[in-house]
Amino acid sequence: MDTDLTFEQVVHDHQDMVFRTLLRLTGSREHVDDLAQDVFLRLYRALPNFRGESLITTYLYRIAVNVAQDEWKRRRRDDRPLVSLSDEASSWEDRLQHPSRNAEQQIEEREFQQTVEEQLQRLSQIERTILVLYHQEERTYEQISLTLGLPIGTVRTHLHRGRKKLREALQERQNNERRATCETNR
Amino acid sequence: MRDESLNRQHSTAKDIDTLARLDQRLIRALEIAPEPQIPADFAARVASLLPARRPVSVTPTHYGYYAMVGSMVILLAALLLLAPHAAGRSIFGLTLQWLLCAQFIGLAVWLSARRHTVL
Repeated sequence: MDTDLTFEQVVHDHQDMVFRTLLRLTGSREHVDDLAQDVFLRLYRALPNFRGESLITTYLYRIAVNVAQDEWKRRRRDDRPLVSLSDEASSWEDRLQHPSRNAEQQIEEREFQQTVEEQLQRLSQIERTILVLYHQEERTYEQISLTLGLPIGTVRTHLHRGRKKLREALQERQNNERRATCETNR
Repeated sequence: MRDESLNRQHSTAKDIDTLARLDQRLIRALEIAPEPQIPADFAARVASLLPARRPVSVTPTHYGYYAMVGSMVILLAALLLLAPHAAGRSIFGLTLQWLLCAQFIGLAVWLSARRHTVL
């Protein structure tokens, strides 16, 4: 009973981080509750082997990445299209966080964010994972290396490569948009 | 020609600036974490799903301790039996005596240290 209570506290303390990471890694809000539940159940099963050599957060990130990988494999098997993070019940109006800012600018920012999300899902699993852990979760190279069991050099390479691919994809998209605008103006 | 080169320089500087701005926007976008909608009872729900664990036995066993004491008795007997026969006769007998003696002392130290930590 005591253990359950303590574990409930562990879940409570780390649920934000697990949900956030899973959302970004899978690119979908669909089944994210089930996936997060799976993460914590796996943690509970692994706890007897947890010797405190690493932080529980490192352990949790590792499990979350594994769960996300299983989800990608399942999706590939089912050949299901991705549901975007933004296609939720909340409307555009709800997402306009700064009423003082120019609405057009906000929409543009939102579209850019959405494009980044889409392009992020096109990266390889390892590049996406490293980008999310580094930029969103603010993990250091050492922590990512420990979480994924990769050398620091490899983490750095994947990070730079992932960012480069994203930048190129965004540039291409911007160029296409500019070209389309020019043609419309003519 | 000069104009062309100036234009090229100008456009390169502009490209670098555009690229840097794009980079900044990209990093900003990557740093924005999605806002998860976590059910209020999520932690309690997970806790209710935990499988029952086999209760850990709280009655300590002393098999190791008894085995150590038994080994010490055997070692002591071997030492006492070998002493009159081996001492001063051959190098093999002497080595064996020393080895058994060292084992006996080692076990005695280990047992006394363990007794202190248990108590």
